[in-house]
Amino acid sequence: MTLQELYERIDGDYTQATNVLRMDKLIDKHIRRLPNNGVVDKLIAAADTMDATSLFESAHAIKGVCGNLGLVKLAAAASEISEEFRPGNPRNFTDDEVKAKIAGISELYEKTKAEINNYEASL
Amino acid sequence: MFKSKQIQRQRQVLVVDDQEINRDVLGLILEDDYEVIYAENGREALEKIQENLDSLSLVMLDLIMPEMDGFEVLETMRDDEEMSSIPVIVLTAEKEAELKALRLGAADFITKPFDVHEIVLARVARIVELSEGRQLISAAEYDKLTMLYNRNFFFEYANRLYTYHPELHLDAVVMNIEQFHSVNALNGREFGDDILRIIGNEIRAFLSETEGIASRFDADRFDIYCVHQDNYHAVLERFQNKVNSISPNVNIHLRMGVKPWSQEVEPIVMFDRARAACNMVRGDYHHPLMIYNDDMLMRELLNQRLLNDLRSAVDDKQLQVYYQPKYDIQCEPPKLSSAEALVRWKHPELGMISPGSFVPLFEGNGLISIVDDFVWREAAQQIAAWKEKYNFTLPVSVNISRTDVFDTTLVDRLKELVEENGLDYSNIKLEITESAYTENSKGLLDLIDSLRELGFAIEMDDFGSGYSSLNMLSSMPIDVLKMDMKFIRNIETNETDRRLVQLVLDIAKYLNVPVVAEGVENEKQLEILRNASCDLVQGYYFSRPLPADEFEKLIEREIATERDR
Repeated sequence: MTLQELYERIDGDYTQATNVLRMDKLIDKHIRRLPNNGVVDKLIAAADTMDATSLFESAHAIKGVCGNLGLVKLAAAASEISEEFRPGNPRNFTDDEVKAKIAGISELYEKTKAEINNYEASL
Repeated sequence: MFKSKQIQRQRQVLVVDDQEINRDVLGLILEDDYEVIYAENGREALEKIQENLDSLSLVMLDLIMPEMDGFEVLETMRDDEEMSSIPVIVLTAEKEAELKALRLGAADFITKPFDVHEIVLARVARIVELSEGRQLISAAEYDKLTMLYNRNFFFEYANRLYTYHPELHLDAVVMNIEQFHSVNALNGREFGDDILRIIGNEIRAFLSETEGIASRFDADRFDIYCVHQDNYHAVLERFQNKVNSISPNVNIHLRMGVKPWSQEVEPIVMFDRARAACNMVRGDYHHPLMIYNDDMLMRELLNQRLLNDLRSAVDDKQLQVYYQPKYDIQCEPPKLSSAEALVRWKHPELGMISPGSFVPLFEGNGLISIVDDFVWREAAQQIAAWKEKYNFTLPVSVNISRTDVFDTTLVDRLKELVEENGLDYSNIKLEITESAYTENSKGLLDLIDSLRELGFAIEMDDFGSGYSSLNMLSSMPIDVLKMDMKFIRNIETNETDRRLVQLVLDIAKYLNVPVVAEGVENEKQLEILRNASCDLVQGYYFSRPLPADEFEKLIEREIATERDR
């Protein structure tokens, strides 16, 4: 599987990833590190306690990492959570709605992870 | 020439981000142009900043990080004098965070993701340049030794204070160290620098108690532009005491000139006047403070007027040459031997101006050579005229000023003058002041040799007023010695003066040089000089300086006496 094929499968924006990281080598390095990054796990853990700081920081980190990697859907979903919990921002969603959104992120993340693992296996 | 890029080290940038991917992306963007170092959180960032304080050109700082976030880093940097000079670009995407970061001192922000590398690079370069420019300006603003403003910045700020805060009524104060070059020479440059630093510190302490700014204008000159002080003696004493306390074994004397505020006088003029006042007390250790006053202003304006009017004074013959006779007192009756040409200025509006008012002024700026040239011409023509009218040759001595000594055309000009008027070289005597001998010995010696070879007689003027040495007297080719009038003033009452005069006369006799005693005013003085074997005398006893037509009576009397002799 090529990187471009991986991006097609995970619905990622390969052009954006190339713009940011410029070379396949770096995209390859960081996309393969994503499954072990731990930020999504932190977000899921934060959803259990609904700790606002933790929710904000982990969502913010996911937004940044995924934004750089061209994983636009994950980045947009994480942005929604980070804005929800940014210090000083009013809350727009109920806790249950937040949890549902995080569950959506988790699901999308798992799919992405699976494809990345496939990609890695194909090398 | 080297380009600045070749001279400067590669600039160092610290990238602070908890996400490796962000660090990698920024590293990728920057690594061709910068040395990039990294930190993963705020705490590590502060450690790296401390370690690289001297080399770090920029910090690129993520705001949202675990452990210590970017805001805390910014706050810590802002409150630290050294760290606060390093510019920070924050990495963010949120408007509110940007605002907060800018308020905390961030120089700029860059939004994630960093998809257009060139924009990131351009913004980094711009902030580094801006910051370095600011630091350069800051370095140029202060004198490193005293941490007072440098001259240019001082005047810029003084002008702003003058323009924007006219209500402050600021005084200009100039302070100097007496003989600072000697202090340096005797005690070493380091000691001199310490003194300057101490004065700088004390001025800053003074200015923390009163409103004002200060500069080390150059070497040992300090300028202070401050609100009016009632007692400048106390201000000067404060600085003097500070210097004394630090250096009890070396006498260092400060002097001060003050130009008090006055309506519509710009700082540059204020400081010119304060400097002039300060220069007036140069060397006067008992009165080291001078407040500029209206008399000085009048004097300054008069000087300006005289400088402006000199040219027309020459063209319109406002300058006039007076002649004072010198008599040979070893004959009886004394014989008119020669005369000294002295300049007078009959100003059409100011009336008669004393040479004491304009000669030192023109000597100071070299314009005296215009006056001298005028006197030489007039005197040469007068000698020729008297020769023609009376068949009587009266040698006349004229002054050669310091400025003339440096004029390479001097010999030719004098030669021309003699030839044009059909004179003999011995008809014109040249008076060169004693102090010129000490200032320019070698050049002067050559000049005198050339003039004597032609046949001019050289008179050393004002002998005894300065620092002549006996050694110099014997090595200098001199035809006549003119003893300064201060020797003569009290000879009839003061035994020491009388002995001193006798000593000078004995030395001159030994060297076979005739002596002219100046300033002889009474018969008693004349008798003493005559008995001491003085050859020639000049002074009010015989005659004050006279215009040429009046002087002719003396010539006529002399001719009559000659006939009877």
